[in-house]
Amino acid sequence: MICEHCKQRHASVTVTKVQNGQTIANHYCEVCASKYHPFQTDIQEEPVALHQLISNWFGVPMWKAAQTGEKKTTQSTCPTCGFTYRHFLKQGKFGCADCYNTFRDQLPPVLSRLQAGTTHKGKSAAVSTEQLQAQIETIRQQMQHVIAEERFEEAAKMRDDIKALQQKLNVGSVDV
Amino acid sequence: MNIEHFLQHSTARWMEQHGDASDIVMTTRVRLARNLTGMRFPLSFSEEEANKIQEKLMNTLLAVQEQTNFSYFPMKDISLLERQVLVEKHLISPYLAKNEQTAAVFLSADESVSVMVNEEDHIRIQCLAPGLQIAETYNRACKIDDLLGGKLSYAYDELFGYLTSCPTNVGTGLRASIMMHLPALTMSKQMNVLIQMMTRLGMVVRGIYGEGSENLGNIYQISNQVTLGKSEREILDELQKVVEQIIEKERASRKKLLERAQVTLDDRVNRALGTLLYARILTSEEAATCLSNVRLGVDLGLINNISQNCLNECMVFIQPGFIQQYAGIPLDATERDIFRAKYLQEKLHNAGLTIREKGEKPYDV
Repeated sequence: MICEHCKQRHASVTVTKVQNGQTIANHYCEVCASKYHPFQTDIQEEPVALHQLISNWFGVPMWKAAQTGEKKTTQSTCPTCGFTYRHFLKQGKFGCADCYNTFRDQLPPVLSRLQAGTTHKGKSAAVSTEQLQAQIETIRQQMQHVIAEERFEEAAKMRDDIKALQQKLNVGSVDV
Repeated sequence: MNIEHFLQHSTARWMEQHGDASDIVMTTRVRLARNLTGMRFPLSFSEEEANKIQEKLMNTLLAVQEQTNFSYFPMKDISLLERQVLVEKHLISPYLAKNEQTAAVFLSADESVSVMVNEEDHIRIQCLAPGLQIAETYNRACKIDDLLGGKLSYAYDELFGYLTSCPTNVGTGLRASIMMHLPALTMSKQMNVLIQMMTRLGMVVRGIYGEGSENLGNIYQISNQVTLGKSEREILDELQKVVEQIIEKERASRKKLLERAQVTLDDRVNRALGTLLYARILTSEEAATCLSNVRLGVDLGLINNISQNCLNECMVFIQPGFIQQYAGIPLDATERDIFRAKYLQEKLHNAGLTIREKGEKPYDV
């Protein structure tokens, strides 16, 4: 038998659906069956316990991954660690902090299944001495650039910013 | 401080004090997951990055040695058995012990604080306390977090909070776990319903002796599932409320058991004590079950002369790694069972336990 969907490959999967008391049997090849799995939506709609959700989350995307993966692999490969979205779904883990940026748009549905929300409401990270120093350095470079273009008003503002940052840095280092 | 200091005793100094509700809550544990910017997570980082992270932490934590008094141990410097003992004492995670090449740990002298390096995340700050002390323990972890975060740059996102390798930790990176001894609720078969209830409230319930050991020794570890979308305060308050309810239920259950089946209960706890005192072969399952019953007997005043501390020590000791460390030689399973029985007898006799005479009324209810 030939697959009803692609009409090319050999049909090896039979999907039996009971709809309003009528039994409908469809025959698909493995490739099409994995794409048009009828249970995929059912699982998501059912109210499931949290621990099941997690296992579903690792299970369900195996079909979904094939779908989204095909469309998105090209555009969403993390530049820092080389993880793809499919890779992430398979492992359930991110390779680096930049993954959160790379897959930013795809994350909210994943996170809302695991978590109470998709935005952080807790403690915010303190600005570390490392970061302050880096920030000062970037502004300094920008200031050079601005001065070269004779945009002095902007340069003066940057100088004040640097001063403020330096003050923070001094206070911070005394504190720690 | 050398590694022997952390291997010698099955309980640490911090266990000696009593926290709130220490008849039911054994320990409170808080851990914070953090990563540094500019370096990939341990799942995909290079050896160079791993070393850099270790170095950064050494510079930060050992620089303030007077405040923290940490000892530093790279995993590759300590043996497999030693690592297993640290895992059994909950000082490091099993996952950290496996990362031989890249992982390390900082331990405070009293063993109440450990900072794991290159676990699943770059940094895992863990604080332990006896009894129920959620807020205090979090505050201690938070202090170390501030100390590190003030100097090193954490991977942090305005929207997602602290970034972690696993999306189940992202946001606050906070997991608080309460280890509870719940024999009466287990005996009266209420635990399954309670576990379901807690799961619905966003809590995770686990056994203590690792995965699959469900409720060995009637000990359950209850922790928060959610780390994102709620503040630390909300997460901890919710956990506190759930734990308080469970404590109340366990107490009520114990009271009911005493009222309705005192003789059966008395028989059960004393039989357990008898087994511990006279058995010559004890598997860890049997030892854990007996220790749980004896603990219940002590809590209810049915057994005297054994301290909770002694039982705490025994609970940790019955694990395979500890027994072998104590014996000083590797032992197979059967040898361990014999050694376990021998140690428990010594321990309980040393505790000054007196065996009651016939007809003596040992308790006063």
